[in-house]
Amino acid sequence: MANEAEETVRKLSAHKGVVGVVVVNGEGIPIKTTLDNHISVQYAGLMTALIDKAKAVVRDLDPSNDLTFLRIRSKKSEVMVAPDKDFILIVVQNPVE
Amino acid sequence: MAPKKQKEVTSKSRGNLVEDDALDWLKPRSLIKPEDQEDVPDADLEEEVGRVLTTINLQWVADEVAYHYGQGRFVPKPKPTFGKAYPLYIYQGTAIRKDSDEAKAQIAAGYGMVGFDDAGPKRAKVKKSSAEEEEEEEPEPEPPPPEEGKGEEDAVAEEEKPEGGEAPAEPTDVGAEEGELAEGAEEAEPEEREEARGGGDEEVIEIKPRVKKLANQFNFCERAALTYNFPRRSVDTQTIPPPRANYGATALQCIIFDYYQEDYARKLREKEEEKPKRLRKKAAKHAKSAQQIHDELLAQRIREAWTVLERLVNQNIYDDIAQDYRYWDDPSDEFREGMGSLLPLWKFQYEPMRNHAVCDLQWNPHYQDLFTVAYGSLDFTNQQKTGCLCLYSIKNPAYPEYAVITESPIICLDVYKETPYLICVGLYDGNVCVYNAQLTLESSYQYKSDSVRDKHSNIVWEIRWGARLIDGESTFFSISGDGRVVQWAVMPGELQATTIITLTSNVPPIPGPDGTLITVNSCGSCICFHPEKPDIFMVGTEDGMIHTCSLKYNRNYVSSVQAHHMPVYRINYNYFNNSIYASCSGDWRVKIWEDGRDEPLFMFELGSPVGDVKWAPYSSTVFAACTADGKVYVFDLNVNKYRPICVQAVVSKKTKKLTRIDFNMRLPVIVCGDTKGTCHVLKLSPNLRVMCKPPKKAQGMDQRTLQIMKLDKLLSLVRDPPYQTGVVDEKFDDD
Repeated sequence: MANEAEETVRKLSAHKGVVGVVVVNGEGIPIKTTLDNHISVQYAGLMTALIDKAKAVVRDLDPSNDLTFLRIRSKKSEVMVAPDKDFILIVVQNPVE
Repeated sequence: MAPKKQKEVTSKSRGNLVEDDALDWLKPRSLIKPEDQEDVPDADLEEEVGRVLTTINLQWVADEVAYHYGQGRFVPKPKPTFGKAYPLYIYQGTAIRKDSDEAKAQIAAGYGMVGFDDAGPKRAKVKKSSAEEEEEEEPEPEPPPPEEGKGEEDAVAEEEKPEGGEAPAEPTDVGAEEGELAEGAEEAEPEEREEARGGGDEEVIEIKPRVKKLANQFNFCERAALTYNFPRRSVDTQTIPPPRANYGATALQCIIFDYYQEDYARKLREKEEEKPKRLRKKAAKHAKSAQQIHDELLAQRIREAWTVLERLVNQNIYDDIAQDYRYWDDPSDEFREGMGSLLPLWKFQYEPMRNHAVCDLQWNPHYQDLFTVAYGSLDFTNQQKTGCLCLYSIKNPAYPEYAVITESPIICLDVYKETPYLICVGLYDGNVCVYNAQLTLESSYQYKSDSVRDKHSNIVWEIRWGARLIDGESTFFSISGDGRVVQWAVMPGELQATTIITLTSNVPPIPGPDGTLITVNSCGSCICFHPEKPDIFMVGTEDGMIHTCSLKYNRNYVSSVQAHHMPVYRINYNYFNNSIYASCSGDWRVKIWEDGRDEPLFMFELGSPVGDVKWAPYSSTVFAACTADGKVYVFDLNVNKYRPICVQAVVSKKTKKLTRIDFNMRLPVIVCGDTKGTCHVLKLSPNLRVMCKPPKKAQGMDQRTLQIMKLDKLLSLVRDPPYQTGVVDEKFDDD
């Protein structure tokens, strides 16, 4: 499992335009990252809050529904988030010209 | 007091009168007299009786006696105090008259000469002035002016006069009253005087040596005693505050929903626990621990999340290709009638398999975006040690969804249509395996042929799933270079091999070194099952023969055709007509055959060994072939019976060869593999996938019927000369 995760992170970060991959555990602590430490912490903290909010929105509209993925397009980059109750996976990618 | 009483009486009588008036209605008009009432003469009734008010109580007996039993004599009865006067408060005064004997005695003894001035604290503070010292001395100690006191007394005496009779009974009382009055007056007096003096001149008095104070009601001293007050002291204790925590929560709808779900699950669990223990134990044996389940689920979720993330990343990277794939149709097709083009889309490559060749590939029958690739090697002088089975999705061109390295190069594969995750592969070393793509990558094959007992002794060239056995086991067939066609039944835990047929060759037995004759089998190179008759299959051999065989006869062929001069690489049945099939070979040719006919209906020469040929699933007349010089040919017999409608070089012919090709069953794309391990996905331009237009007479016809009709019409044109039995055309006319 650990190997597999390692492999996946390596694989993902090898993709074109991928700036960083952050794995956040259930407590909101980044446990694996390819970014700088402080940026990872920032991503983890901010994303946790955003995911909580987004999840509340989705769940409130329909309680049997759930948030599965989050994709944030910004001017400079795109942040893709896979939220789960036990982990959060964050991938930051710069758009391909 | 008396006038007051009188007044009271009068007021009372008046009140009665008023009352009488008011109560007039109550009273009976006639007077009721008692019977024994005495008769009184009118004169007596008329007589006026005078009522006199006196201050003396006439009924009061002065000296009443009563017999005292204790003393045995009459004693004066205790006075019933007063007649009509009622004492409210009796107080025994201590004041005595100044001129009484007692007072004189006291004065003589040195008491009583105390002025009121002494009591006042002001007096002591006043400064004395020597001038008027003597004058002031006199009046001071003699405070009460006699006239005033007398006046008062007189007034009292006068007041008391009317009830003189009673007076003797209460002398002390009167005295007390008098004293009090006098005292009140006196008290007022010095106060005034003091004020006058204060306003006038600064009078100074010399205070006489203090005589012993006479302690009485008017001259008293106050003595205050203060009890000891305990010093106030405050003692505070503070307990350790109970632990506090701030808790905030919002009761959102979803949270409430979750709690209900949880509660429901708990109830179910409780119900489960109520079951008899025996049943539970059985269940518990199989159940994994909660932690284990949780871990597995978590791993699964993480894996899925990674997959999706990877696809998202890829979507961004390959966005333009995805757009093309979906929406770009070559606009130039409109202007070139009957010609099409292929648009290269993604290239799939697995880094470890860079030097391997794509030996086989196949779209997944269930998932339209998934295809399976077998990596092996076709360079038999320098064969690779390993092979690889990969599943690619066009959603993720960067990495295969599933990749498993095999011990031997994979030459062929087939995906089971019933369960599209089961893939059987034929290996270079003659083994066959079944892989389950649902299992994790750690576990390799699910089934493998026994390497000692029943594996092929040569390369397995093609492998195909067949129909299920009567017992329900899945089976697949493999054809190998050793000339055997073997049926493999997937039994639990093992593969059971049955040799269906051994391909014989025309070559006479060769004498071995020790004199024994060795029969040479012909080498099978491909196999193809009839789409409708599951026991009929065709076998292509390396010497170019195509044998039609049946599962029921394992000795002889049903029919045989010398189709090619070089190994037959592929035989493929048309999707719309079960009697039409295509074959391709290393002799550069692609031929279209009809069952039972020994010469091909069509024949095309492509100028290079043809690795693969496939009919299009969407059209009855379209097929595609790929050649070793890196080109893909697409034919539409309906459009052009002699030339391909599209020839496109996909890879450079110097370095790479195209090996295999496959049509996607639902999407207008094809995939072809080359010898450097790359799979190319190409999109067919609109001209390559023209559909039939229904004729005007029958608009409601479905596409399939139309396609069959199209092919039949075409076939009727080329069937000339009519079919002749027993003629095997050995000549191949060049185009």
